[in-house]
Amino acid sequence: MRLTTRTTFLLLVGPIGFFLLFFVIPFAQLVKESLFGPQGWTLDNYTSVLTDAYYWKALVDTLVISLLVTLVSFLAGYPLAYFMIFHLRSAALRRLIYVVLVTPLFTSNIVRAFGWIVILGRRGMVNAGLLALGAVEAPVDLLYNKASIIIGLAYILLPLMVLTVCSILQSIDRSLIDAARDLGASPSVAFFSVTLPLSLPGVVAGSIIIFALSASAYVIPSILSGGREIVMSMLIFQQYMATFRPDVGATLSVVLLVVTLALIAAYAYGVERRTRVAM
Amino acid sequence: MANVIVIDHLVKRYGATTALADVSLTIRSGEFIALLGPSGCGKTTLLRAIAGFVEPTSGRIEINGRPMRGVPPHRRPVNTVFQQYALFPHMSVADNVAFGPRRNRLPKAEAEHRVAEALSMVGLSAFGARHPRELSGGEQQRVALARALVNRPEVLLLDEPLGALDLKLRKRMQVELKRLHRQVGMTFLFVTHDQEEALAMADRIAVMRQGEIVQIGSGAAIYRNPASRYVADFIGEANLITCSVGAGGVLRLGSDGPTLPYRSEQTGSVTLMIRPEDIRVGTRDAQPEDVIIPVTLRDKAFAGSVWRLYVVAPGGQELAVHSGEAAEAEATTAGSELSIRWRRNTARVLTD
Repeated sequence: MRLTTRTTFLLLVGPIGFFLLFFVIPFAQLVKESLFGPQGWTLDNYTSVLTDAYYWKALVDTLVISLLVTLVSFLAGYPLAYFMIFHLRSAALRRLIYVVLVTPLFTSNIVRAFGWIVILGRRGMVNAGLLALGAVEAPVDLLYNKASIIIGLAYILLPLMVLTVCSILQSIDRSLIDAARDLGASPSVAFFSVTLPLSLPGVVAGSIIIFALSASAYVIPSILSGGREIVMSMLIFQQYMATFRPDVGATLSVVLLVVTLALIAAYAYGVERRTRVAM
Repeated sequence: MANVIVIDHLVKRYGATTALADVSLTIRSGEFIALLGPSGCGKTTLLRAIAGFVEPTSGRIEINGRPMRGVPPHRRPVNTVFQQYALFPHMSVADNVAFGPRRNRLPKAEAEHRVAEALSMVGLSAFGARHPRELSGGEQQRVALARALVNRPEVLLLDEPLGALDLKLRKRMQVELKRLHRQVGMTFLFVTHDQEEALAMADRIAVMRQGEIVQIGSGAAIYRNPASRYVADFIGEANLITCSVGAGGVLRLGSDGPTLPYRSEQTGSVTLMIRPEDIRVGTRDAQPEDVIIPVTLRDKAFAGSVWRLYVVAPGGQELAVHSGEAAEAEATTAGSELSIRWRRNTARVLTD
């Protein structure tokens, strides 16, 4: 059944209204704030933010962390999804893994961040283990650096990659892989020439979600950085809540959003160009 | 002719179900052979076992004298045309066809030459740059053929390759496949559930039932001399008349109908098979050895070259008659009494 134009319109009113009310209008407000100084309209906020090396470092750090989180999620999530779809015969076991993957999403991020502190801290499980094995002489600093932020974020966002990749792997016609094998491709060549390219749309979707969520994450970085690393979301929070500079906070928000969107657009466009027909 | 494939007592079980129960088959080089049977009869399993996608439970497959046990699909000298073509959607037609030659590390010029040759063989020379989804079903089918043929396999395996095409296109592709087979001189092993397709194309047909080959031979031989009621029913149109075996092994139509000039060593009931086109209407030119029975006409339908008559024999069994004698058929009306006759040796006594 095809929806009539009228029904489609009625169905769209809700989402569009919501989007306007809770995103477009607040965002316009934010942009206005960033462009408004004591003497009226000005670009002062942007010039001061963009000429300050401190902000630049935070921006670059944020993007690097987000990129690495995306990469780690892909490297850990893709094989898991592949295993679940292509090697797990039992549907019950597959469902169990889905549940295990999704359940942590119901737990507070704060709890999970503190969990990592317990694991990675100087007296944490990892260090205790390493010391007991004699692998190290003194506890190693695993916490409060970029690595711990990346671990914490990747751990939380990994399920999103697994789920998106699973759904696309499931949709790949198995006879295509058979055809590749039949035409002389070893299992690994068949994977790299057929399965992987055909699953890229899922990888793109998953990595865009993960990149965007990493770039805007606040709780995990602020707990696992121990204040030694600064990402954009923490800076923005400070501008609003500590230094009371909502105009600077707004400016930073706009900069982060624009840069993130530009990167995602470039990425999606790049992949799209290479695999246009696979979609 | 040399044997290209030898299948020896092949068995494949999936848990409690048996997909292949002791299949033996020898395929000669250059043959066009069809595996024919209803879905679930094991024909696709057999094909996939030859291609290397199914590891047999027991038994042996040899291709050109080389045992295939443990040889993975990509190292077997066979190529498959898959049921839904399985063209790579992310590659152009030319890249699809070049997939095999590239995997086999052919020099670039040679690979390109072969791809062009294969595409021209199926009449798609101008389509190299297109993508599969831009092609019609028939064109996709040709690409799948070219993609397999380009590797010059010892045996081309075809898994219901025409099943997704409409009737007209299917008929044309049958002729085309036959032409390709002559042209390339390869061995074709063709899986189908369509007996007409098998009869039209194959040199030999292996009829399968429940994981076994129940009869193998040329289409004409199987059509004329089916080994069982199952085969007779499956190949072509057949009247399968249930007969009882009376005293002295003489057959009676139904349980108490007229006696028929056939004998059987069996007791109980047997099947008499007679093809609709072997039955004539009336007794005008009857020969002494003809079998004649009185029937009632129930229905008739004009089918161009013949009239299809549906008649009821004594005892209530219905028979189909294809009558080429238009005048006689046209004169009859439903409900009228008439006689039908056939040459004694055109009918076969079958067991189940």
